[in-house]
Amino acid sequence: MTTPFLQIQNIRKVYGDVVAVTDVTLDVAKGEFMTFLGPSGSGKSTTLYVLAGLQEPTAGDILLQGSTLLDTPSHKRNIGMVFQRYTLFPHLSVGENIAFPLRVRRRPKNEIDAAVRRVLKLVRLESFEDRMPAKMSGGQQQRVALARALAYDPPVLLMDEPLSALDKKLREEIQYEIRRIHQETGVTILYVTHDQEEALRLSDRIAVFSKGVIDQVGTGSELYADPATRFVAEFIGDSDFLEGKVEAVNGKHADIRVGDDLVIPAVPTHGAPTPGRGAAVMLRPERVSLSQTPNAASSLPVTVVDITFLGNNTHVLTETKARERLSVRLPFGHAAANGLRPGQSVWASWEPSDAQAFCA
Amino acid sequence: MTLAANASETRLEARRTRAASGLVYALPALILVFVFFVVPVVALLMRSVLEPTPGLGNYAELLGSSTYIRIFYNTFVVSAVVTVLSVTIGFPVAWMLAIMPARWSTLLFAVILLSMWTNLLTRTYAWMVLLQRTGVINKVLMGIGLIDQPLALVNNLTGVTIGMTYIMLPFVILPLRGVIKTIDPAVLQAASVCGATRWQCLTRVLIPLALPGAAAGALMVFVMSLGYFVTPALLGGTSNMMLAEMIAQFVQSLVNWGMGGAAAFVLLVVTLAIYAVQLRLFGAGRLGQGG
Repeated sequence: MTTPFLQIQNIRKVYGDVVAVTDVTLDVAKGEFMTFLGPSGSGKSTTLYVLAGLQEPTAGDILLQGSTLLDTPSHKRNIGMVFQRYTLFPHLSVGENIAFPLRVRRRPKNEIDAAVRRVLKLVRLESFEDRMPAKMSGGQQQRVALARALAYDPPVLLMDEPLSALDKKLREEIQYEIRRIHQETGVTILYVTHDQEEALRLSDRIAVFSKGVIDQVGTGSELYADPATRFVAEFIGDSDFLEGKVEAVNGKHADIRVGDDLVIPAVPTHGAPTPGRGAAVMLRPERVSLSQTPNAASSLPVTVVDITFLGNNTHVLTETKARERLSVRLPFGHAAANGLRPGQSVWASWEPSDAQAFCA
Repeated sequence: MTLAANASETRLEARRTRAASGLVYALPALILVFVFFVVPVVALLMRSVLEPTPGLGNYAELLGSSTYIRIFYNTFVVSAVVTVLSVTIGFPVAWMLAIMPARWSTLLFAVILLSMWTNLLTRTYAWMVLLQRTGVINKVLMGIGLIDQPLALVNNLTGVTIGMTYIMLPFVILPLRGVIKTIDPAVLQAASVCGATRWQCLTRVLIPLALPGAAAGALMVFVMSLGYFVTPALLGGTSNMMLAEMIAQFVQSLVNWGMGGAAAFVLLVVTLAIYAVQLRLFGAGRLGQGG
């Protein structure tokens, strides 16, 4: 087996009494677009700063092509980075900003000029070379920052929530730019975000961070279809949870009681199901259907609370007898949506294999 | 269209009215400046060209005599050296103040302010004690065997430079600290990740970004030094005078208001010229305009 391109091994970072990163291990392939997704304070940015050499890890190692990076100071790591805040040098023009990493490396002038032109073309800002950063929009500044980070052909590009200060429309526009640039350059990208949509749109694989550890690594559809933890299930896509108790265990499947009169049979489980212990059953809104009578293998009586027409689908918010919320998304034109009104009692049904249980 | 034009007209009108009412409030200060600054300066200028006989005789004498030129030269050299020294020494202090944890920077800041608020004469006399032939500095230097003979550190321009640098330091540190505080540390992190060594971060990013603050502080120090009286009078020697001492001598000892006025006016013109140059180079809003 060949050595992975970039290896993050058991990184731990402690500030005083605060554990920012508990234990993070991850392999990244060459040319991969890997996103660190998680809420603020989950350790994703700290891990990125450790990679950049701007933070010293308390323990662990970082290997690039098999050799450690930790002995190399940040300015010699040859890694590119785009920051959350605007970090262009305000006293330098766009062209001079991009030339900066090459000037400090004392490259010849013709090489610098060629590189500046090349990356300006890459981020489609050719005509902005002489502009000062203060005269540019936030989106343009971040594109210049991206160009500056790519000017010296770094093997790895780190991006720390580079679009979080931009409005939604602009953000989506630049997300596509980043995808295109990733495809054109083939650079390995580690991208930090707390926005699941952004992560899904950009990444080859996503590492979901929670409380200083990675809960799960996988492609977007893997994480959505088969979340390893309740946190991942909550973080990726919409989901509702019915709290219940394990009745019987059969391998990785369990019968789970979610009400006095309802046992959901043979639910795929995560964690160690133990009879008598608590378990939460997760349901995705688009996997649940509504009907006047119980009709699928698993059905639950619910009361309609609110109906919202959203164009291609109708979102129906319902409530179980235990006053738990259960969202249902019906595609446009679905028969169940006809004549539905708040206060009505209906049955929510789903296939047993579409539910998943997370054991406490 | 007309509506918009009207609206902007009204807004302009409102701004004018506001400016006018602002003028009313500023009036007492303006009257004070006029009566006690503009009038005396003009009077002094008049005397410099009228006494003892009308004409530019005083200026010709001032700029034609090697004694007086020497004094101008001393003043500019000392002021320049003091400016360079206080910016060089003040920069690291300002940087520290800007990046230290708030508790410590408040403390250090208080120490600097306290030294600034201590009576000027007291501080200058303290330097006399420190710098004299049998003073602490000479004793220590001789004690560790660095020198055999005590250095002449006082009653000359060396003493003046040392004393004035100390007194001027806060005037550099305060504006520099203000400017450095506005620099986002992430910009320096970006420079480091881009491959800049610590030295390159300093010379290519931090210093250029702090330059407006350094320029403001340097201007303040240079201009104040040009006309400084107390410290040169106490720490300086009789042979190497500075401009303010010379003016004082003309007016107090020689009762020659013509020459005193001419010297004062030359100082004023030079000061304004330096200010104009500084405004042109580092004036408000220049940063980021490009070109």
